[in-house]
Amino acid sequence: MTLNDTLRIVIVGHVDHGKSTLIGRLFYDTGSLPVERYREIERTCREQGREFEFAYLMDALQEEREQNITIDTAQSFFRTAKRPYIIIDAPGHKEFLKNMVTGAAAADAAILLVDGAEGVREQTRRHAYILSLLGLRQVAVAINKLDLAGYRRDRFHAVEEEIRRFLHSVGIVPSYVVPISAKEGDNIASASTRMSWYQGPTLLSALDSFSPAREASGLPLRFPVQDVYVWDRKRTYAGRVESGTIRPGDRVVFSPSGKSSRVRSVEKWNLPSLPLASAGECIGITFADELFVERGEVMGSADDDPPRSGKELSASLFWLGSEPLRLNRRYLLKLATSEAEVILSSITERLNSSTLEVIERHAERVENLEVANVTFTLSRPLAADTFEENPRLGRFVIAVEGFVAGGGIVREVRADGIGSRARVIRLHSRMTTEPDGNLVDLSQEAGPVEFDLSPGFIDRLGKGERLAIRLRTADQLEQIARLAYGHDLAFEFRRDGEGPKVVLFRLAAPSAPVLDDAGPVI
Amino acid sequence: MDHLDALENQSIYIFREAYRKFKDLAMLWSIGKDSTTLLWLARKAFFGRVPFPLVHIDTNYKYPQMIEYRDRMAVEWGVELIIGQNKEALCEGMHPSRGRFVCCNALKTQGLQQILDRHGFKGIFLGIRRDEEGSRAKERVFSPRDRNFEWNYKDQPPELWDQFNTSFGPETHVRIHPLLSWTELDIWEYTRRERVPLCPLYLAKDGKRFRSLGCVPCTAPIDSNAATVDEIIEELKATKTPERSGRAQDQEQAYAMQKLRSLGYM
Repeated sequence: MTLNDTLRIVIVGHVDHGKSTLIGRLFYDTGSLPVERYREIERTCREQGREFEFAYLMDALQEEREQNITIDTAQSFFRTAKRPYIIIDAPGHKEFLKNMVTGAAAADAAILLVDGAEGVREQTRRHAYILSLLGLRQVAVAINKLDLAGYRRDRFHAVEEEIRRFLHSVGIVPSYVVPISAKEGDNIASASTRMSWYQGPTLLSALDSFSPAREASGLPLRFPVQDVYVWDRKRTYAGRVESGTIRPGDRVVFSPSGKSSRVRSVEKWNLPSLPLASAGECIGITFADELFVERGEVMGSADDDPPRSGKELSASLFWLGSEPLRLNRRYLLKLATSEAEVILSSITERLNSSTLEVIERHAERVENLEVANVTFTLSRPLAADTFEENPRLGRFVIAVEGFVAGGGIVREVRADGIGSRARVIRLHSRMTTEPDGNLVDLSQEAGPVEFDLSPGFIDRLGKGERLAIRLRTADQLEQIARLAYGHDLAFEFRRDGEGPKVVLFRLAAPSAPVLDDAGPVI
Repeated sequence: MDHLDALENQSIYIFREAYRKFKDLAMLWSIGKDSTTLLWLARKAFFGRVPFPLVHIDTNYKYPQMIEYRDRMAVEWGVELIIGQNKEALCEGMHPSRGRFVCCNALKTQGLQQILDRHGFKGIFLGIRRDEEGSRAKERVFSPRDRNFEWNYKDQPPELWDQFNTSFGPETHVRIHPLLSWTELDIWEYTRRERVPLCPLYLAKDGKRFRSLGCVPCTAPIDSNAATVDEIIEELKATKTPERSGRAQDQEQAYAMQKLRSLGYM
């Protein structure tokens, strides 16, 4: 990654909270607005007898000018001293949520715009929730229109507290909360003299601190087969490395077929023997053996966390279809390059995507603009990861009559009852830091689990840190006991308001664990 | 992976998706820098082959250097080239003097439609980019056109995580836009890196060069001394003038481009 790599940002928020104005301002303040564009906006505003508005830069379509709202997702480009940017404008109107999703799914970072006078509104919350479902984690909140609130500090803090509270509930920690006026140019490119009480970065320096979405080279290899070309009697498997790396000579295995082989060559045009390809690269692969696998199969390393498959997926999804998503109906699920016919076998919870209120449990259907926790049952196994383990293989869309009508992230992949393989839990990547210490939450893991450790992880426990593991079933205790046994750790069983958990730690001098007043030691 | 690599890989992925999903594909080659970059990327995606024909809509008003360049490169790269021309309209004397909008619509849009009808193409690769002008910024990567060639830009299905909408009704053709995320500067930087041979009209001669190529009556060169790709890149980094400022059909009225495009213009 070089420093001048483009950052793709999406600007989301409630309608009329000032998105298009902010975009125009970003262009103007960074000197990225061509003179003729500026004049064209001037001319259009004059023709329509209106005051000059930056918003017209993005609202390029006629209907939008007439209705004064942003209909579709449009992209534009500006540049700071640090790097180029692509802005994806996402409309605030409820009917246009599918365009907001299209925009936000392609972004590295987001600006969540809130009107300082109006505060958090319906679409503010809905967009924030969708950002979390899309896996976007670099979020800057801009509290706009403070010129209309007299640039008052107390007003800013009231809105800041409101938005932080909501974001916390959807698992987003904003990197910055910046008080701005897009119309007047406060705290966009330069620090506002009218809000000297604010000491943080301007919006542009906040953006400059973000990084392009992390590439997944550090994760295990996942190479979904996109197509097979048989030209001049040579079979080339075309696809993109979604995560990990691949080298000639690697032993590989395909999921769900279970076929295996050894990589003979990794190729691109005019480069028939690459030493390596890593995440993000579109390549061709040839194999040492005669091998027949189809599009949709996922290739992984035979030696390092090969891809798994299942016939049951638990997922969180957002629904954008005009027709409701219905229980027990068949749908087409598309995940990476595979397409599977699925039955929606359970709708565990149906939620209002703005308030996050549970509308119904064990529901019969999910309506347009709602989100839900659901289970899909498949007729044939499908290779997938959970979103947490590997976002590239843990997200999917649902198509209705060929068109994308919803999307979501995989929470759990189950093999279909008996003989299901243990799910590998990578403790280091699953661990979160809570106010009362490190936590790995297994309360959503219904099936058998196995632990995977990164080098150095246990050393942290040796230095006095503790790791709490929240349990779903008593069966999970066995793996924790094995971990403790194998790494010379002690553990305590506890119960708190959220249920049972086990706390792992290392005693100062290895010896028998001592009793703790919090509970009995196992 | 740098920015150009990321763009290249994204475009290759789109090519391969389209090739897998559609029969009867073709690629529109306007001879300009964008569609020539597109052609280069197609060769990368398919290991040196171009497994579908190229279509050039010849309005009969193109610069002779463009035609010479087209014929030379088609032979050198071994591609199948289909040349479309709305002969009927030309016989009736169609010319920009009848109105640029009318002329573009007849010679380009209808010219394309005739070729699609004759060959039954269901998918067309086009080298449009979102940074060119406002209505192109709203495009999807896979964008359907109905029987009347119309683009319903108000109600486009969502497109996310490289899951494209690839099942459309029998009455539609689909436009596939692998360069949508590229900028003009990206094209030139990629051209420099890959040494893509472009039409010589882009390079300055006697203080003038073309920034965007089109028909003789409606396309004017800009003042420039940029005679190499390096110099063009330096020039673009400094300019604030839009790319299509030399293209007369865009300037006619406030919404000309949007109207042309909703009727099927490329």
